Amino acid sequence: MLSPEYLLTLIVFLPALWSIPLLWFDGKASDAIRYFGLLGTALTFGLTLQLLGQYDLTPAPEQLHEGMQFYFAKEWIPNWNVNFSLGVDGISLPLVLLTGLVSLLAMIASWSIEKHLKGYVILFLILETGMMGVFLSLDFLLFYIFWEVMLLPMYFLIGVWGGPRREYAAIKFFLYTLAGGVLMLIAMLMLYFGSGNSFDLLYLARVGQGLEKSFLLSKEFQITAFLLLFIGFAIKLPSFPFHTWLPDAHVEAPTPISMILAGVLLKMGGYGIIRIAFPICPLGAQYCAYGMVALGVFSIIYGAFAALAQTDFKRLVAYSSVSHMGYVLLGLAVWKVGEKAGDPNLHYWRMGVNAAMFQMIAHGISSTGMFFMVGILYDRVHHRDLNKFGGIAGLMPHYTGLAAGIFFAGLGLPGLCGFIGEIFSVLSCWSFDKTLAIIAASGVILTAGYILWTMQRVYFGPVYKGPHGEALVPLLGREKFVAYVLLAFAIALGVFPNALFQYMDPSIKTLVDNLDASVHPQLIETATTLVQ
Amino acid sequence: MDTGTVLRNLLTLAWLLPLAGFVAEIYALQLRWSHRLSKAPAQLAVACIGAGFLCSLSALLYWGSQTGWAGFSPADHGHHASEEHHGDEHADEEMPPADALHPSAPEAGEHAAEGESHGHTPAHAPKFYAGTFYKLATFGPLEITLDWYIDSLTLVMFTMVTFIATCIHLFAMGYMKDELTEEYEDHEVHLPGGHHFTRPGRFHRFFAFLSLFCFAMLGLVLAGNIFQVFIFWELVGVCSFLLIGFYVERHSASTAANKAFIMNRVGDFGFLIGLMILITSLGTFRFFDVTEDHVEKTGLFSLVRGNDGKLDVSDDKSVVQSVVYLRDSQGHRLVDGTTPRSISYLLLIAAGLGVFAGSIGKSAQFPLQTWLPDAMEGPTPVSALVHSATMVAAGVYLAGRFYPMFPPEVLLGIAYIGCITLFVAATIAVVATDIKKVLAYSTISQLGYMMLGIGVGGWAAGLFHLVTHAFFKSLMFLCSGSVIAGCHHVQDMRQMGGLRHKMPLTAYTMLVGVIAIAGLAIPGVGNALFGQALAFSGFHSKDAIVASALAFTELNSNQLHRLLFVVPLVTAGITAFYMFRLWFMTFAGQPRDEHVYEHAHENPAIMTLPLVVLSLLAAGCALGGEQGWLYSLLSYSETVPAVERLASERVASIVLPSHHDVHDVHGMAGGLALFAAFAGTATAYLLYCRKVVDPDDIRRQAGGVYDFLVDKWRFDTLYDVAFVRPCLVIGSWCQGFDQKVLDVVLHASAAITVVVSKWERTFDEGMIDGLVNLVGNSTTNFGRSLRVVQTGRLRQYVMWIAVGVVVLFAALFTALPK
Amino acid sequence: MEPVGLNAYLFVGAVLFVCGIVCMAIKRNGIGVLMGVELVLNGANLNFVAFARYTPLGLDGQVIALFVIVLAAAEAAVALAIALNFYNNHLSIDVDRGSELQG
Repeated sequence: MLSPEYLLTLIVFLPALWSIPLLWFDGKASDAIRYFGLLGTALTFGLTLQLLGQYDLTPAPEQLHEGMQFYFAKEWIPNWNVNFSLGVDGISLPLVLLTGLVSLLAMIASWSIEKHLKGYVILFLILETGMMGVFLSLDFLLFYIFWEVMLLPMYFLIGVWGGPRREYAAIKFFLYTLAGGVLMLIAMLMLYFGSGNSFDLLYLARVGQGLEKSFLLSKEFQITAFLLLFIGFAIKLPSFPFHTWLPDAHVEAPTPISMILAGVLLKMGGYGIIRIAFPICPLGAQYCAYGMVALGVFSIIYGAFAALAQTDFKRLVAYSSVSHMGYVLLGLAVWKVGEKAGDPNLHYWRMGVNAAMFQMIAHGISSTGMFFMVGILYDRVHHRDLNKFGGIAGLMPHYTGLAAGIFFAGLGLPGLCGFIGEIFSVLSCWSFDKTLAIIAASGVILTAGYILWTMQRVYFGPVYKGPHGEALVPLLGREKFVAYVLLAFAIALGVFPNALFQYMDPSIKTLVDNLDASVHPQLIETATTLVQ
Repeated sequence: MDTGTVLRNLLTLAWLLPLAGFVAEIYALQLRWSHRLSKAPAQLAVACIGAGFLCSLSALLYWGSQTGWAGFSPADHGHHASEEHHGDEHADEEMPPADALHPSAPEAGEHAAEGESHGHTPAHAPKFYAGTFYKLATFGPLEITLDWYIDSLTLVMFTMVTFIATCIHLFAMGYMKDELTEEYEDHEVHLPGGHHFTRPGRFHRFFAFLSLFCFAMLGLVLAGNIFQVFIFWELVGVCSFLLIGFYVERHSASTAANKAFIMNRVGDFGFLIGLMILITSLGTFRFFDVTEDHVEKTGLFSLVRGNDGKLDVSDDKSVVQSVVYLRDSQGHRLVDGTTPRSISYLLLIAAGLGVFAGSIGKSAQFPLQTWLPDAMEGPTPVSALVHSATMVAAGVYLAGRFYPMFPPEVLLGIAYIGCITLFVAATIAVVATDIKKVLAYSTISQLGYMMLGIGVGGWAAGLFHLVTHAFFKSLMFLCSGSVIAGCHHVQDMRQMGGLRHKMPLTAYTMLVGVIAIAGLAIPGVGNALFGQALAFSGFHSKDAIVASALAFTELNSNQLHRLLFVVPLVTAGITAFYMFRLWFMTFAGQPRDEHVYEHAHENPAIMTLPLVVLSLLAAGCALGGEQGWLYSLLSYSETVPAVERLASERVASIVLPSHHDVHDVHGMAGGLALFAAFAGTATAYLLYCRKVVDPDDIRRQAGGVYDFLVDKWRFDTLYDVAFVRPCLVIGSWCQGFDQKVLDVVLHASAAITVVVSKWERTFDEGMIDGLVNLVGNSTTNFGRSLRVVQTGRLRQYVMWIAVGVVVLFAALFTALPK
Repeated sequence: MEPVGLNAYLFVGAVLFVCGIVCMAIKRNGIGVLMGVELVLNGANLNFVAFARYTPLGLDGQVIALFVIVLAAAEAAVALAIALNFYNNHLSIDVDRGSELQG
């Protein structure tokens, strides 16, 4: 049992610290570097499992700090009131686990990297620190710093180890994210000065929800701040029309980095919305809810249509990410304010937020898997042209079986993880808006269309039509391992979704209730007077 | 253990065994417990599904023994209920309140602990047993669970599915033996070099997929809530995808598989909308009520139908405003605070239509029927199991299961969809020449009959036809498979003929199926024994449907609704025609292709044995017709709206017949249907056996119609133009929008930034630097211009000093005041 | 006859001064220029002494005059040395020849 301070801090900083000894490694000792990096990610994943083990599903009130377990805060820059505060709740815990898992699997998938291996592993580990930090930090400035910390290694990982147009893709990714970061910075400063100089996310949330009588954020203020934050996070999500960095970055990034990008980085957008934008600016969120749902629905349909038109395998999977992350946006925002607090609509919103969170995890697994599957083919034949495949089912049957399982998870087949998130977010939408719900539901047809068509073009048919056919050898052991782990998670989450919901739902319930109460101030006041 | 637990355990075992079988079979080679040339995976699959059949059968028998065999006896509660109120139009209002809308349940049920629910008190035989496996998710009051729901329909379906599946597994062991090789040559796939494609056999994989399908299908039947139905609905869909596309190398097969899945998804889109409405308006997916911690969680059926099977509709005249009040299992209106909970009537219709849209997709009803004929690309056992007997019938099963949720308007829609489908498909079947395609269209047509039956209020009739059809259609598909295997994969009937000499067993078992589907009977013979005409199963079930349709048209004054009787009647004749055409073309007459005929041979016992077994059932399963055990079993699960006369004036003015109404017209309907069947049979005999008129002449005479039918009413073309191409076009638009608009905007802003930076550089270099340099330069220049003063001449300096002093003084004196 | 007043001294001093200036300005001979300097200094000295006599400054003027005389002597020594060097370099003491300082 590690004390929470050490455990959380270690989860965040272990990867970065682990990269320091690598500096003294001989650059030619490839295997040593790989195994050392693998050990680092494995240890980090082990620590996240430890966190899961210590996480209490039914915590006593004294274990909680405003809903957070393992919360701690240390003064960092007292002049500006910045703290080093970390904590975990049901919303961040699954994402932390996902980060640990995807990093581990991506490190295994990195075995085929040859170029500047030492630098690669070091950047990879720093990236993991950034990601963990984003999910665990409870101080806005700290969050912002981790957000930016994660950006630079990613830039280099795409820009150095990427495909032919890597510089373009890297700079596009960098600028997009940086632009989002700047908007977030503006909002952060607005909130800092609007709340009497605080970066504490939990305190800011209380201010935003009108629980701190000394500072009140007006509706206009909240809307502005929310929009700034939302655009910043929507870029990362990515939502239409901020998504065009994604296909390029995915296509050019090496396979393991695509896995991380799809598996973890996109989740930061959704996480930011639910951890920062919503709680701090409930009035703004409520004001923008319809637009967000509409944007989510549009992204679902748009991404699916765009995926239909792709001829590059990776690009197709990238657009499928746009489509799938639309469900996240949809589920998060189906917030219809009833006439009174605690209206039945709230259950559907709660369902929607749960579904959105589930969809993030599910997409983290299915999309990671899809990119990995594409990468396996790319490693062998060095092209991704959908029209130059075919016959893979005959040449690599084991691989095809696993790929079919993972693609079906992406398609939203029941019994696999993708289904639960998609279906619940769509179901929750009807009470919000019927038209949008119907449009969102039509996404199931398009999704089936592009995924099945892709499978037909790539896996089915008598002969392989592209170059390097002789290189299509059966799966290697480590490839099997990664694929089976992902498929196992896809099945487990699809069959027993409650295993995940039981962690997320209590936190989400609290959040949803608080936010709904915060937009019903007059009702709260009457309630307090009644109690008195 | 109480009855419910026993039944649950038995059926769950039957349900999960194929799943275990699937895992073992798919890894047969990896786990090295079998090899490519071994039949062991098939034996395992047969063992699993066979054990499943035994479990299901024992569950059925156990249930029978526990209920005192009440469900097996023809002394049907439904009839009694109706007969008691003979002639009284409002009689049904006096029905004693019965639990869970089952007409003869004597008193309201109590709910057992542990979230299990019975339709009844233990003292009497419950109508159904239900309970929860585990929770998928809970969001406050919204619970999404995996449930089980067992009534006589479930038991019949389980027994039927597992039995037919066992037969088909056995048949497939023979049919698929070509795959038991390291070098399977696929004659359908032509490689560029002119030779055929060869690959290792995939015997084990075929049986793995079959097992997975059985698991999904049984899960669908066992499901205790509509969401769970949806889950397994999709799973059977994906199994169908895998099995249709089993020959992945064939482009036509993978295309057909995609088409099947995607068209099913179109239906599922509607299903999903139905689910959204249900969860939002009713807050639950469960069919049945459960009591947890003394709080009743009312299920869908009780919410909508209360305890008396009626919709509690508000009195508003306007359709838009009228609502259906939600009730608990005791029939009391549920209230939310002070306002009663309700669902808009239109929304209830929408939910019903939405769920039914799922059925349209799965059961290949108009307008989503086009995938099923293409699905014949799969191996024939698959067509027999998935695409005739079980999966496609799941749509009908769902319509039957969900029947209490359908207001009359939805039922009318179901009836019309069924009516259109059965006619369209039958007409296409007349011109089809591929033996499997004929059967496929006939499947669609028969599914249309089932839908029609359910839609016109003949609930038990529709499901009755489902079961009988499953037997005779799977029989006929297996027979066609036997023909195909015997003729070395020739499927075109124009190359066949006279095959009854080569494969008699196949021919005569097929004849049983053909007679069954055509609905031929010998009137008068069986009356003494069974009170019914002596006939094979299809006659009885189709008869029941036609009778319901006739009763429906009699009750409704709207002349348009007459179509619902006339069309199926005519189609009954067409059915008899094309089925006998098939039989005559294939098995009778002279061989048309000597080569095919020479090599044709009867198949081994493992393939013919299932034919014989199935033919016995196809002939005899419905023995006794509506007095027989099968119909009685099914109608044991009938709900109040299926038994009593149902009327609605809301959207359309409809009256649905009661049992009694149907009973009154039964004789007439049966006679007409029989006449139609004989007419069709005779025509086929004259055209294809006697050759009175050459069918080719007719074809030439009616060229336009013929082409239209051969083109399957041009639905594929229509969908291609109306949906597929636009989708691809929109897709490329989206792609173009990304590249031509969003990226261009992005690149333009990048370019503008660069241009602005260049300007800024010019400004920096020109203006700012220029200014600084100007100051420096002018200083230098000024200093340089002073050089000339520096002459170095001493005297000049002195002079300047003097002059300077003088000037200074002069200035001093002029400037300073005195 | 009026006693000789301050103005007379100033007048003589001014004449001496102007003569010195003119001598410096027109003489091309270095020695002549030095003479002009002496004249200017002495004109100034005369003014100092005269002001010291006719104003209540005490002995300040005389002291400065003596200081100037001493300074002039030192200056003459230096200047003559320069003139000698100038002559050695140019074989002439025509100051117009020494225009190396021209800018």
